[in-house]
Amino acid sequence: MSSEVLQAPLVLEYPFTRSTGPVIGAFLTGLRDGVICGIRRADGTVLCPPQEYDPLTAEPLTELVEVGQAGEVVTWAWNGDPRPMQPFDRPFAWALIRLDGADTSMLHAVFAPSAAEMSTGMRVRVVWRTEREGHIADIAGFEPIPAVETA
Amino acid sequence: MGAERTAVIGVGQTKYAAARRDVSIAGLLREAAYRALEMAERTWSDVDAVIIGKAPDFFEGVMMPEVYLAEALGAVGKPIMRVHTAGSVGGSTACVAASMVQSRVHRCVLTIGWEKQSESNAMWALSLPQPFATSVNAGAGGYFSPIIRRYMMMTGAPELIGCMVAHKDRRQALLNPYAHLHQHDLTFEQVVDSPMLWDPIRYSETCPSSDGACAMVLVDEASGDAHDGPVAWVHGTAMRSESNNYGGRNMVSPAASEQCADDVFAQAGIVDRRAEIDAVEMYVPFSWYEPMWLESLGFASVGEGWRMVESGATALDGGDLPVNCSGGVLSSNPIGASGMIRFAEAALQVMGAAGDRQVDGARRAMGHAYGGGAQYFAMWIVGSGKP
Repeated sequence: MSSEVLQAPLVLEYPFTRSTGPVIGAFLTGLRDGVICGIRRADGTVLCPPQEYDPLTAEPLTELVEVGQAGEVVTWAWNGDPRPMQPFDRPFAWALIRLDGADTSMLHAVFAPSAAEMSTGMRVRVVWRTEREGHIADIAGFEPIPAVETA
Repeated sequence: MGAERTAVIGVGQTKYAAARRDVSIAGLLREAAYRALEMAERTWSDVDAVIIGKAPDFFEGVMMPEVYLAEALGAVGKPIMRVHTAGSVGGSTACVAASMVQSRVHRCVLTIGWEKQSESNAMWALSLPQPFATSVNAGAGGYFSPIIRRYMMMTGAPELIGCMVAHKDRRQALLNPYAHLHQHDLTFEQVVDSPMLWDPIRYSETCPSSDGACAMVLVDEASGDAHDGPVAWVHGTAMRSESNNYGGRNMVSPAASEQCADDVFAQAGIVDRRAEIDAVEMYVPFSWYEPMWLESLGFASVGEGWRMVESGATALDGGDLPVNCSGGVLSSNPIGASGMIRFAEAALQVMGAAGDRQVDGARRAMGHAYGGGAQYFAMWIVGSGKP
Protein backbone atom coordinates (compact mmCIF):
# COMPACT_ATOMS: atom_id res chain seq x y z
CA MET A 1 0.00 0.00 0.00
CA SER A 2 1.37 3.36 -1.00
CA SER A 3 1.80 5.96 1.68
CA GLU A 4 2.66 8.88 -0.54
CA VAL A 5 1.78 12.23 1.03
CA LEU A 6 -0.19 14.19 -1.56
CA GLN A 7 -0.45 17.91 -2.04
CA ALA A 8 -2.58 20.00 -4.35
CA PRO A 9 -2.89 23.68 -5.17
CA LEU A 10 -5.89 25.67 -3.98
CA VAL A 11 -6.49 28.80 -6.04
CA LEU A 12 -9.18 31.19 -4.80
CA GLU A 13 -10.30 33.92 -7.12
CA TYR A 14 -13.28 36.21 -7.02
CA PRO A 15 -13.89 39.65 -8.52
CA PHE A 16 -15.08 41.77 -5.56
CA THR A 17 -16.98 45.05 -5.97
CA ARG A 18 -16.30 48.32 -4.16
CA SER A 19 -18.59 51.30 -3.63
CA THR A 20 -16.43 54.32 -2.88
CA GLY A 21 -18.93 56.62 -1.21
CA PRO A 22 -19.01 60.39 -1.77
CA VAL A 23 -15.57 61.38 -0.43
CA ILE A 24 -13.27 58.70 -1.84
CA GLY A 25 -15.41 58.83 -4.98
CA ALA A 26 -14.71 62.55 -5.37
CA PHE A 27 -10.97 62.00 -4.87
CA LEU A 28 -10.89 59.31 -7.57
CA THR A 29 -13.05 61.17 -10.11
CA GLY A 30 -10.85 64.21 -9.43
CA LEU A 31 -7.77 62.20 -10.42
CA ARG A 32 -9.53 61.24 -13.64
CA ASP A 33 -9.96 64.97 -14.34
CA GLY A 34 -6.37 65.79 -13.40
CA VAL A 35 -7.32 67.38 -10.06
CA ILE A 36 -6.17 66.33 -6.58
CA CYS A 37 -8.67 66.79 -3.75
CA GLY A 38 -8.17 66.99 -0.04
CA ILE A 39 -10.78 67.53 2.67
CA ARG A 40 -10.88 70.25 5.31
CA ARG A 41 -11.26 69.45 9.01
CA ALA A 42 -12.98 71.70 11.53
CA ASP A 43 -9.61 73.12 12.65
CA GLY A 44 -8.84 74.18 9.08
CA THR A 45 -6.22 71.53 8.36
CA VAL A 46 -6.54 69.56 5.12
CA LEU A 47 -6.26 65.77 4.79
CA CYS A 48 -4.95 64.51 1.44
CA PRO A 49 -5.91 61.89 0.41
CA PRO A 50 -9.28 62.80 1.93
CA GLN A 51 -11.10 60.69 4.55
CA GLU A 52 -14.83 60.39 5.20
CA TYR A 53 -14.61 60.89 8.96
CA ASP A 54 -12.38 63.01 11.15
CA PRO A 55 -9.69 60.80 12.66
CA LEU A 56 -9.93 62.50 16.05
CA THR A 57 -13.52 63.69 16.49
CA ALA A 58 -15.29 61.14 14.23
CA GLU A 59 -17.34 63.98 12.71
CA PRO A 60 -18.24 63.57 9.03
CA LEU A 61 -15.97 65.55 6.69
CA THR A 62 -17.61 67.15 3.65
CA GLU A 63 -15.59 70.22 2.57
CA LEU A 64 -13.57 68.98 -0.38
CA VAL A 65 -10.77 71.35 -1.47
CA GLU A 66 -8.36 71.23 -4.37
CA VAL A 67 -4.71 71.00 -3.31
CA GLY A 68 -1.57 71.77 -5.28
CA GLN A 69 0.04 69.49 -7.83
CA ALA A 70 3.47 70.00 -6.29
CA GLY A 71 4.70 69.40 -2.79
CA GLU A 72 7.44 68.31 -0.47
CA VAL A 73 8.97 64.90 0.24
CA VAL A 74 8.43 64.17 3.93
CA THR A 75 10.38 60.93 3.94
CA TRP A 76 11.51 58.39 1.35
CA ALA A 77 13.10 55.01 0.65
CA TRP A 78 15.06 54.06 -2.47
CA ASN A 79 13.84 51.10 -4.53
CA GLY A 80 16.90 50.02 -6.51
CA ASP A 81 15.37 46.87 -7.98
CA PRO A 82 11.77 47.50 -9.14
CA ARG A 83 9.51 44.53 -9.68
CA PRO A 84 6.86 44.09 -12.37
CA MET A 85 3.64 46.06 -11.64
CA GLN A 86 5.54 48.73 -9.68
CA PRO A 87 5.12 52.33 -10.83
CA PHE A 88 8.43 52.59 -12.75
CA ASP A 89 10.65 50.09 -14.58
CA ARG A 90 13.86 51.82 -13.45
CA PRO A 91 15.06 52.46 -9.88
CA PHE A 92 12.86 55.04 -8.13
CA ALA A 93 11.96 56.24 -4.62
CA TRP A 94 8.87 55.44 -2.58
CA ALA A 95 8.03 58.65 -0.78
CA LEU A 96 5.51 60.31 1.48
CA ILE A 97 4.60 63.54 -0.29
CA ARG A 98 2.82 66.49 1.34
CA LEU A 99 1.17 68.47 -1.43
CA ASP A 100 0.92 72.24 -1.22
CA GLY A 101 -2.21 73.14 0.72
CA ALA A 102 -2.37 69.78 2.48
CA ASP A 103 -1.35 68.96 6.05
CA THR A 104 -0.92 65.20 5.58
CA SER A 105 1.12 63.20 3.13
CA MET A 106 0.40 60.44 0.64
CA LEU A 107 2.51 57.51 -0.46
CA HIS A 108 3.62 57.56 -4.08
CA ALA A 109 6.64 57.11 -6.36
CA VAL A 110 9.30 59.72 -7.13
CA PHE A 111 11.16 59.32 -10.41
CA ALA A 112 14.64 60.53 -9.44
CA PRO A 113 17.74 59.51 -11.39
CA SER A 114 19.47 58.14 -8.28
CA ALA A 115 19.23 57.98 -4.52
CA ALA A 116 21.82 60.73 -4.34
CA GLU A 117 19.25 63.12 -5.80
CA MET A 118 16.63 62.32 -3.17
CA SER A 119 16.37 64.33 0.04
CA THR A 120 13.84 65.01 2.70
CA GLY A 121 12.25 68.38 2.05
CA MET A 122 12.90 68.28 -1.72
CA ARG A 123 10.19 69.67 -4.01
CA VAL A 124 8.37 67.34 -6.41
CA ARG A 125 5.46 67.68 -8.84
CA VAL A 126 2.86 65.29 -10.16
CA VAL A 127 3.30 63.39 -13.44
CA TRP A 128 -0.12 62.49 -14.83
CA ARG A 129 -0.91 59.55 -17.02
CA THR A 130 -2.45 60.64 -20.30
CA GLU A 131 -5.26 58.08 -20.09
CA ARG A 132 -6.97 58.28 -16.72
CA GLU A 133 -9.80 56.23 -15.27
CA GLY A 134 -10.35 57.31 -11.64
CA HIS A 135 -7.59 55.33 -9.91
CA ILE A 136 -4.58 56.25 -7.75
CA ALA A 137 -2.39 55.10 -10.66
CA ASP A 138 -3.79 58.00 -12.74
CA ILE A 139 -0.85 59.71 -11.03
CA ALA A 140 2.08 58.00 -12.74
CA GLY A 141 4.35 59.36 -10.04
CA PHE A 142 6.17 62.53 -9.01
CA GLU A 143 9.28 64.12 -10.49
CA PRO A 144 11.85 66.32 -8.76
CA ILE A 145 11.50 70.05 -9.43
CA PRO A 146 14.97 71.37 -10.29
CA ALA A 147 16.32 73.77 -7.66
CA VAL A 148 16.64 76.52 -10.24
CA GLU A 149 12.87 76.43 -10.73
CA THR A 150 12.12 76.47 -7.02
CA ALA A 151 14.57 79.28 -6.29
CA MET B 1 -21.14 41.21 43.89
CA GLY B 2 -23.19 40.14 40.89
CA ALA B 3 -22.97 41.30 37.35
CA GLU B 4 -23.75 44.92 36.54
CA ARG B 5 -27.33 45.32 35.29
CA THR B 6 -27.11 46.34 31.66
CA ALA B 7 -29.52 48.43 29.60
CA VAL B 8 -30.02 48.93 25.88
CA ILE B 9 -30.84 52.60 25.34
CA GLY B 10 -30.26 52.96 21.61
CA VAL B 11 -30.97 50.98 18.45
CA GLY B 12 -30.01 52.13 14.95
CA GLN B 13 -30.60 50.39 11.64
CA THR B 14 -30.07 51.14 7.99
CA LYS B 15 -32.85 50.51 5.47
CA TYR B 16 -31.87 47.05 4.27
CA ALA B 17 -31.46 46.83 0.50
CA ALA B 18 -29.88 44.66 -2.18
CA ALA B 19 -27.21 47.25 -2.93
CA ARG B 20 -26.24 50.49 -1.17
CA ARG B 21 -23.92 51.68 -3.92
CA ASP B 22 -24.26 55.28 -2.69
CA VAL B 23 -22.11 54.64 0.40
CA SER B 24 -18.79 53.04 1.26
CA ILE B 25 -18.63 50.25 3.84
CA ALA B 26 -17.71 52.91 6.42
CA GLY B 27 -20.63 55.10 5.35
CA LEU B 28 -23.05 52.21 5.75
CA LEU B 29 -21.95 51.43 9.30
CA ARG B 30 -21.93 55.08 10.16
CA GLU B 31 -25.67 55.43 9.43
CA ALA B 32 -26.63 52.67 11.88
CA ALA B 33 -24.15 53.78 14.55
CA TYR B 34 -25.28 57.40 14.36
CA ARG B 35 -28.96 56.45 14.63
CA ALA B 36 -28.24 54.29 17.68
CA LEU B 37 -26.36 57.16 19.35
CA GLU B 38 -29.18 59.55 18.47
CA MET B 39 -31.82 57.31 20.08
CA ALA B 40 -29.55 56.87 23.11
CA GLU B 41 -29.02 60.65 23.35
CA ARG B 42 -25.28 60.04 23.34
CA THR B 43 -22.36 61.40 21.30
CA TRP B 44 -19.20 59.70 20.07
CA SER B 45 -17.28 60.97 23.08
CA ASP B 46 -19.67 59.19 25.49
CA VAL B 47 -18.73 55.78 24.08
CA ASP B 48 -16.05 53.83 26.00
CA ALA B 49 -15.54 50.98 23.51
CA VAL B 50 -16.82 49.59 20.22
CA ILE B 51 -17.67 45.89 19.77
CA ILE B 52 -18.05 45.00 16.10
CA GLY B 53 -19.04 41.84 14.24
CA LYS B 54 -19.43 40.63 10.68
CA ALA B 55 -19.30 37.39 8.73
CA PRO B 56 -15.91 36.07 7.55
CA ASP B 57 -13.54 38.61 5.97
CA PHE B 58 -13.44 36.85 2.61
CA PHE B 59 -17.10 37.70 1.99
CA GLU B 60 -16.11 41.27 1.00
CA GLY B 61 -12.41 40.53 0.68
CA VAL B 62 -11.43 43.22 3.22
CA MET B 63 -9.14 41.77 5.86
CA MET B 64 -9.70 43.02 9.42
CA PRO B 65 -12.14 45.74 8.29
CA GLU B 66 -12.56 46.88 11.90
CA VAL B 67 -9.17 48.57 11.67
CA TYR B 68 -10.25 50.66 8.69
CA LEU B 69 -13.63 51.35 10.33
CA ALA B 70 -12.26 52.75 13.60
CA GLU B 71 -12.48 56.36 12.43
CA ALA B 72 -16.03 56.02 11.10
CA LEU B 73 -17.08 54.55 14.46
CA GLY B 74 -15.37 57.15 16.62
CA ALA B 75 -13.09 54.45 18.02
CA VAL B 76 -9.71 56.14 17.56
CA GLY B 77 -7.88 55.90 20.88
CA LYS B 78 -10.54 53.57 22.30
CA PRO B 79 -10.82 49.79 22.58
CA ILE B 80 -12.39 48.19 19.51
CA MET B 81 -13.00 44.45 19.48
CA ARG B 82 -14.00 42.20 16.60
CA VAL B 83 -16.19 39.13 17.11
CA HIS B 84 -16.20 36.17 14.67
CA THR B 85 -18.93 33.50 14.79
CA ALA B 86 -20.12 33.18 11.16
CA GLY B 87 -23.86 33.93 10.68
CA SER B 88 -24.57 34.10 14.40
CA VAL B 89 -21.99 36.85 14.79
CA GLY B 90 -24.46 39.72 15.23
CA GLY B 91 -25.91 37.96 18.26
CA SER B 92 -22.52 36.97 19.66
CA THR B 93 -21.32 40.54 19.21
CA ALA B 94 -24.23 41.84 21.28
CA CYS B 95 -23.48 39.22 23.98
CA VAL B 96 -19.83 40.32 24.09
CA ALA B 97 -20.90 43.97 24.25
CA ALA B 98 -23.24 43.19 27.15
CA SER B 99 -20.42 41.35 28.94
CA MET B 100 -18.27 44.50 28.73
CA VAL B 101 -20.89 46.36 30.78
CA GLN B 102 -21.91 43.42 33.01
CA SER B 103 -18.27 42.96 34.03
CA ARG B 104 -17.92 46.70 34.72
CA VAL B 105 -15.04 47.01 32.26
CA HIS B 106 -16.97 49.75 30.42
CA ARG B 107 -20.02 51.86 31.21
CA CYS B 108 -21.15 52.72 27.67
CA VAL B 109 -20.53 50.44 24.70
CA LEU B 110 -21.44 50.87 21.04
CA THR B 111 -21.98 47.55 19.30
CA ILE B 112 -22.54 47.01 15.59
CA GLY B 113 -22.95 44.20 13.07
CA TRP B 114 -22.84 44.63 9.30
CA GLU B 115 -22.53 43.13 5.85
CA LYS B 116 -22.34 44.68 2.41
CA GLN B 117 -23.39 41.78 0.25
CA SER B 118 -23.38 43.93 -2.90
CA GLU B 119 -19.58 44.06 -2.51
CA SER B 120 -19.26 40.37 -1.75
CA ASN B 121 -20.52 36.97 -2.81
CA ALA B 122 -21.66 34.74 0.04
CA MET B 123 -22.66 31.88 -2.24
CA TRP B 124 -19.08 31.73 -3.53
CA ALA B 125 -17.61 32.15 -0.08
CA LEU B 126 -19.72 29.29 1.29
CA SER B 127 -18.82 26.95 -1.57
CA LEU B 128 -15.02 27.09 -1.63
CA PRO B 129 -13.59 24.14 -3.53
CA GLN B 130 -11.21 22.08 -1.40
CA PRO B 131 -8.45 19.82 -2.73
CA PHE B 132 -9.27 16.07 -2.50
CA ALA B 133 -12.94 16.78 -1.69
CA THR B 134 -16.06 16.92 -3.79
CA SER B 135 -17.54 20.41 -4.01
CA VAL B 136 -21.33 20.25 -3.88
CA ASN B 137 -21.33 23.96 -4.74
CA ALA B 138 -24.75 24.23 -3.15
CA GLY B 139 -24.33 27.08 -0.67
CA ALA B 140 -26.21 27.21 2.61
CA GLY B 141 -29.53 25.96 1.17
CA GLY B 142 -27.93 22.77 -0.09
CA TYR B 143 -26.44 22.15 3.33
CA PHE B 144 -29.67 22.71 5.25
CA SER B 145 -32.23 21.05 2.95
CA PRO B 146 -31.50 17.44 4.02
CA ILE B 147 -31.65 18.54 7.67
CA ILE B 148 -35.08 20.03 7.02
CA ARG B 149 -36.17 16.80 5.29
CA ARG B 150 -35.04 14.93 8.39
CA TYR B 151 -37.20 17.20 10.57
CA MET B 152 -40.21 16.66 8.31
CA MET B 153 -39.71 12.90 8.40
CA MET B 154 -39.32 12.80 12.19
CA THR B 155 -42.37 14.92 12.93
CA GLY B 156 -44.72 14.20 10.05
CA ALA B 157 -44.89 17.89 9.25
CA PRO B 158 -47.06 18.71 6.20
CA GLU B 159 -45.21 19.91 3.08
CA LEU B 160 -46.47 23.51 3.16
CA ILE B 161 -45.55 24.53 6.73
CA GLY B 162 -42.43 26.26 5.39
CA CYS B 163 -44.52 28.25 2.93
CA MET B 164 -46.76 29.40 5.80
CA VAL B 165 -43.71 30.70 7.69
CA ALA B 166 -42.39 32.49 4.60
CA HIS B 167 -45.72 34.11 3.82
CA LYS B 168 -46.16 35.23 7.46
CA ASP B 169 -42.67 36.76 7.65
CA ARG B 170 -43.00 38.57 4.33
CA ARG B 171 -46.41 39.96 5.43
CA GLN B 172 -44.94 41.12 8.75
CA ALA B 173 -42.04 42.77 6.90
CA LEU B 174 -44.57 45.21 5.44
CA LEU B 175 -44.90 46.66 8.96
CA ASN B 176 -41.15 47.25 9.26
CA PRO B 177 -39.81 50.27 7.36
CA TYR B 178 -36.25 48.88 7.55
CA ALA B 179 -37.06 45.50 5.95
CA HIS B 180 -35.40 44.77 2.62
CA LEU B 181 -38.32 42.93 1.00
CA HIS B 182 -41.65 44.72 0.87
CA GLN B 183 -43.75 42.37 -1.28
CA HIS B 184 -47.15 44.01 -0.92
CA ASP B 185 -49.06 41.65 -3.16
CA LEU B 186 -47.34 38.35 -2.33
CA THR B 187 -49.92 35.59 -1.93
CA PHE B 188 -49.55 32.24 -0.21
CA GLU B 189 -50.10 30.55 -3.58
CA GLN B 190 -47.19 32.50 -5.08
CA VAL B 191 -44.91 31.27 -2.29
CA VAL B 192 -46.03 27.69 -2.95
CA ASP B 193 -45.58 28.11 -6.71
CA SER B 194 -42.12 29.69 -6.50
CA PRO B 195 -39.28 27.60 -7.96
CA MET B 196 -37.92 24.74 -5.88
CA LEU B 197 -34.27 25.57 -5.22
CA TRP B 198 -33.11 22.87 -2.83
CA ASP B 199 -35.98 20.48 -2.16
CA PRO B 200 -37.95 21.15 0.06
CA ILE B 201 -36.80 24.82 0.04
CA ARG B 202 -38.54 27.04 -2.49
CA TYR B 203 -37.19 30.37 -3.71
CA SER B 204 -39.71 32.33 -1.60
CA GLU B 205 -38.67 30.35 1.48
CA THR B 206 -35.12 31.71 1.37
CA CYS B 207 -33.58 34.92 2.66
CA PRO B 208 -32.55 37.76 0.35
CA SER B 209 -29.00 39.06 -0.01
CA SER B 210 -28.81 42.47 1.68
CA ASP B 211 -26.58 45.42 2.49
CA GLY B 212 -27.04 46.74 5.99
CA ALA B 213 -25.84 47.51 9.49
CA CYS B 214 -27.49 47.40 12.91
CA ALA B 215 -26.10 49.06 16.03
CA MET B 216 -26.99 49.30 19.71
CA VAL B 217 -25.83 51.38 22.67
CA LEU B 218 -25.51 49.47 25.96
CA VAL B 219 -24.98 51.17 29.31
CA ASP B 220 -24.66 50.37 33.00
CA GLU B 221 -27.51 50.42 35.53
CA ALA B 222 -27.10 54.01 36.71
CA SER B 223 -27.06 55.28 33.12
CA GLY B 224 -30.08 53.13 32.26
CA ASP B 225 -31.95 54.53 35.29
CA ALA B 226 -31.10 58.09 34.30
CA HIS B 227 -32.10 57.68 30.67
CA ASP B 228 -35.24 59.58 29.63
CA GLY B 229 -36.03 57.47 26.58
CA PRO B 230 -37.10 53.83 26.29
CA VAL B 231 -34.87 51.18 27.89
CA ALA B 232 -34.53 47.40 27.45
CA TRP B 233 -32.84 45.54 30.31
CA VAL B 234 -30.67 42.51 29.60
CA HIS B 235 -32.04 39.49 31.53
CA GLY B 236 -29.68 36.87 30.14
CA THR B 237 -27.11 36.19 27.42
CA ALA B 238 -25.70 32.85 26.29
CA MET B 239 -23.43 31.50 23.55
CA ARG B 240 -22.60 27.89 22.61
CA SER B 241 -20.67 26.27 19.73
CA GLU B 242 -20.16 22.73 18.49
CA SER B 243 -18.33 21.04 15.61
CA ASN B 244 -20.57 20.54 12.59
CA ASN B 245 -19.37 17.05 11.70
CA TYR B 246 -18.96 14.86 14.76
CA GLY B 247 -20.59 11.43 14.75
CA GLY B 248 -23.97 11.21 16.39
CA ARG B 249 -24.62 14.92 16.15
CA ASN B 250 -28.30 15.88 16.27
CA MET B 251 -28.38 18.19 13.28
CA VAL B 252 -32.09 19.01 13.62
CA SER B 253 -31.78 20.18 17.22
CA PRO B 254 -28.07 20.55 18.00
CA ALA B 255 -26.98 20.01 21.60
CA ALA B 256 -25.35 23.46 21.55
CA SER B 257 -28.71 25.03 20.67
CA GLU B 258 -30.57 23.26 23.47
CA GLN B 259 -27.88 23.99 26.05
CA CYS B 260 -27.65 27.64 25.00
CA ALA B 261 -31.43 27.98 25.40
CA ASP B 262 -31.43 26.25 28.80
CA ASP B 263 -28.73 28.64 29.98
CA VAL B 264 -30.37 31.86 28.80
CA PHE B 265 -33.85 30.95 30.11
CA ALA B 266 -32.36 29.94 33.48
CA GLN B 267 -30.55 33.28 33.73
CA ALA B 268 -33.83 35.08 33.07
CA GLY B 269 -35.69 32.91 35.60
CA ILE B 270 -38.12 31.71 32.95
CA VAL B 271 -39.87 28.38 33.52
CA ASP B 272 -42.76 28.28 31.03
CA ARG B 273 -40.99 29.54 27.94
CA ARG B 274 -44.02 29.94 25.68
CA ALA B 275 -46.12 31.67 28.33
CA GLU B 276 -43.46 33.99 29.73
CA ILE B 277 -41.96 35.27 26.47
CA ASP B 278 -44.01 37.84 24.57
CA ALA B 279 -42.06 38.07 21.31
CA VAL B 280 -39.25 36.13 19.63
CA GLU B 281 -36.83 37.34 17.00
CA MET B 282 -35.43 34.07 15.72
CA TYR B 283 -32.77 33.45 13.06
CA VAL B 284 -34.79 31.88 10.23
CA PRO B 285 -32.92 32.18 6.90
CA PHE B 286 -34.88 29.21 5.50
CA SER B 287 -38.56 29.03 6.44
CA TRP B 288 -38.50 25.59 8.05
CA TYR B 289 -36.12 26.78 10.72
CA GLU B 290 -39.02 28.46 12.53
CA PRO B 291 -40.73 25.22 13.63
CA MET B 292 -37.33 23.55 14.11
CA TRP B 293 -36.06 26.27 16.46
CA LEU B 294 -39.43 26.52 18.26
CA GLU B 295 -38.79 22.93 19.34
CA SER B 296 -35.05 23.23 19.92
CA LEU B 297 -35.54 26.35 22.08
CA GLY B 298 -38.22 24.62 24.15
CA PHE B 299 -41.18 26.76 23.06
CA ALA B 300 -42.79 23.55 21.78
CA SER B 301 -42.23 19.85 22.36
CA VAL B 302 -40.86 17.72 19.52
CA GLY B 303 -43.38 17.57 16.70
CA GLU B 304 -45.40 20.50 18.06
CA GLY B 305 -43.40 23.31 16.44
CA TRP B 306 -45.03 22.93 13.04
CA ARG B 307 -48.45 22.75 14.72
CA MET B 308 -47.78 26.15 16.32
CA VAL B 309 -47.01 27.55 12.86
CA GLU B 310 -50.10 25.91 11.35
CA SER B 311 -52.36 27.27 14.09
CA GLY B 312 -51.11 30.83 13.64
CA ALA B 313 -49.59 30.92 17.14
CA THR B 314 -46.42 32.59 15.81
CA ALA B 315 -48.14 35.38 13.85
CA LEU B 316 -48.10 38.97 15.08
CA ASP B 317 -51.79 39.13 14.21
CA GLY B 318 -53.49 36.91 16.78
CA GLY B 319 -50.66 34.60 17.85
CA ASP B 320 -49.67 34.04 21.49
CA LEU B 321 -45.92 33.82 20.64
CA PRO B 322 -45.27 36.21 17.73
CA VAL B 323 -42.09 35.25 15.88
CA ASN B 324 -40.15 37.67 13.67
CA CYS B 325 -42.56 40.61 13.73
CA SER B 326 -39.80 42.49 11.88
CA GLY B 327 -40.07 40.13 8.91
CA GLY B 328 -36.98 38.29 10.11
CA VAL B 329 -33.99 37.08 8.17
CA LEU B 330 -36.41 35.92 5.45
CA SER B 331 -37.05 39.60 4.68
CA SER B 332 -33.60 41.15 5.31
CA ASN B 333 -30.23 39.39 5.42
CA PRO B 334 -27.11 41.50 5.78
CA ILE B 335 -25.42 38.39 7.21
CA GLY B 336 -23.13 39.87 9.85
CA ALA B 337 -25.92 42.20 11.00
CA SER B 338 -28.74 39.64 10.92
CA GLY B 339 -28.11 38.30 14.43
CA MET B 340 -27.84 41.79 15.88
CA ILE B 341 -31.07 42.79 14.15
CA ARG B 342 -32.78 39.90 15.99
CA PHE B 343 -31.36 41.12 19.31
CA ALA B 344 -32.17 44.77 18.55
CA GLU B 345 -35.72 44.02 17.41
CA ALA B 346 -36.27 42.08 20.66
CA ALA B 347 -35.06 45.17 22.53
CA LEU B 348 -37.36 47.46 20.54
CA GLN B 349 -40.32 45.22 21.45
CA VAL B 350 -39.79 45.54 25.22
CA MET B 351 -39.02 49.25 24.83
CA GLY B 352 -42.44 49.62 23.20
CA ALA B 353 -40.58 51.23 20.29
CA ALA B 354 -41.29 48.73 17.52
CA GLY B 355 -43.76 50.92 15.65
CA ASP B 356 -46.35 49.10 13.55
CA ARG B 357 -44.70 45.74 14.28
CA GLN B 358 -45.10 46.18 18.05
CA VAL B 359 -46.50 43.30 20.12
CA ASP B 360 -48.94 44.99 22.50
CA GLY B 361 -47.59 45.11 26.03
CA ALA B 362 -44.45 43.08 25.30
CA ARG B 363 -42.52 42.73 28.56
CA ARG B 364 -39.97 40.06 27.76
CA ALA B 365 -38.55 39.16 24.36
CA MET B 366 -35.92 36.80 23.01
CA GLY B 367 -33.27 37.50 20.38
CA HIS B 368 -31.74 34.42 18.74
CA ALA B 369 -29.02 33.80 16.16
CA TYR B 370 -27.32 30.78 14.68
CA GLY B 371 -24.48 30.35 12.24
CA GLY B 372 -22.17 28.01 10.36
CA GLY B 373 -23.70 24.57 9.83
CA ALA B 374 -26.18 25.29 12.66
CA GLN B 375 -23.29 25.04 15.09
CA TYR B 376 -22.82 28.53 16.59
CA PHE B 377 -25.58 29.91 18.80
CA ALA B 378 -26.16 33.23 20.53
CA MET B 379 -29.25 34.24 22.48
CA TRP B 380 -30.43 36.95 24.78
CA ILE B 381 -33.55 37.79 26.71
CA VAL B 382 -34.45 41.40 27.32
CA GLY B 383 -37.19 42.87 29.47
CA SER B 384 -39.01 46.14 30.03
CA GLY B 385 -38.23 45.84 33.74
CA LYS B 386 -34.95 45.17 35.50
CA PRO B 387 -33.84 41.55 35.92
